[in-house]
Amino acid sequence: MNNGDENRFDDELTGLAAKLPDGVSPGRDLWPEIAEAIAPPAKHGGMLWTSGWAQAAAIVLLVAGSSGVTYFAVKDDGRAAPEIIYSGNVFEAVSGDFGQQYTLGNEYLDARSELAGGLETKLSSLSPETRQAVVKNLNSIRVAIQDLNRALEVEPDNALLQELLLSTYHDEMSLMRKVDGIANSAMRRDDI
Amino acid sequence: MEGLLAVGRPGIVREAAPVTGQIGGDAALVARAQRADSGAFESLYRAHVDKIYGLCLRMTGNVAEAEDCTQDAFIQAWNKLDKFRGESAFGTWMHRVAVNTVLGRMRKSKREHDRVQAVSDVVDAPESIGDSSSLRELEEAMNKLPRGARHVFVLHAVYGYSHDETGGMLGIAAGTSKAQLHRAKRLLAQQLKTDED
Repeated sequence: MNNGDENRFDDELTGLAAKLPDGVSPGRDLWPEIAEAIAPPAKHGGMLWTSGWAQAAAIVLLVAGSSGVTYFAVKDDGRAAPEIIYSGNVFEAVSGDFGQQYTLGNEYLDARSELAGGLETKLSSLSPETRQAVVKNLNSIRVAIQDLNRALEVEPDNALLQELLLSTYHDEMSLMRKVDGIANSAMRRDDI
Repeated sequence: MEGLLAVGRPGIVREAAPVTGQIGGDAALVARAQRADSGAFESLYRAHVDKIYGLCLRMTGNVAEAEDCTQDAFIQAWNKLDKFRGESAFGTWMHRVAVNTVLGRMRKSKREHDRVQAVSDVVDAPESIGDSSSLRELEEAMNKLPRGARHVFVLHAVYGYSHDETGGMLGIAAGTSKAQLHRAKRLLAQQLKTDED
């Protein structure tokens, strides 16, 4: 190929290349993967809300539980704790309110009702300072129970919330039992 | 050889990048897409995908790689859309994003080594060829070029970028771009002559 042929070829090649179509249709629609990639990350508003509730409830529970336990550093009266029926993370639906899907056992509810029913009487036998501290802590625990129940309405399968609620019910029961024990022993001392 | 190239029009060189798209419509769509309107961005995708895919296909020589590059390019464009100031047409900007995407992927991937084996994917795909046997043969020959020569030929001879623009996009000097183009033409001549024989 001499220079003349080469130049002519270059011109023809350039012309032919320029005739190639700019566009080539892909064999499939490429948009779905692009749409998936550019989609904003899912917002977990409900999760954040319930996590916030759970955190708030946990903090309240921690404060209430620790101050209650510290205040009532008394010996257990030996009665067995009323049982909450559960298997694993799934509580058996028996009766009473527990989140949205679960309920407390009858035995637990009976014991709770018994202690709660006599609470006013027991509290009245305590000193004003002690009574005020007990009421304050009990209210904190009950607010935590309400918060956890509300969170469980949104996330009924959240195992952490279930555990927290179970633990909080236990703390409530423990506090009421300790009030009952202190009141009884105070009455016995008064009697003496 | 001469018969093969007889359909061409000698001397046609598009020095300015020809990728413009629907400028007026694009501007409104870009503005909406910049406000995270994915529907508007899909419209931009629909309007430009053929050109971007064509570029990716010719630069990679591989259908699967070209599809990945096209998708990556549009994802990159979405992520960088706030930096698009409208100083050029969206299609031109998108073209450059695609070139950068192809080059970036090629640097990272070893799949380029398998390109020659995958060329049959390209030449067999009916959408990847021109409307004449000459164009088809040219596409086929381009796919057999070495990477550097192919990129320069695609950007300069097919898409009409100047040597300065081509060199800028490929990260090489304009003189190197000219040398690669010359090399590409010699290799294409050899290839097309062989095919003719």
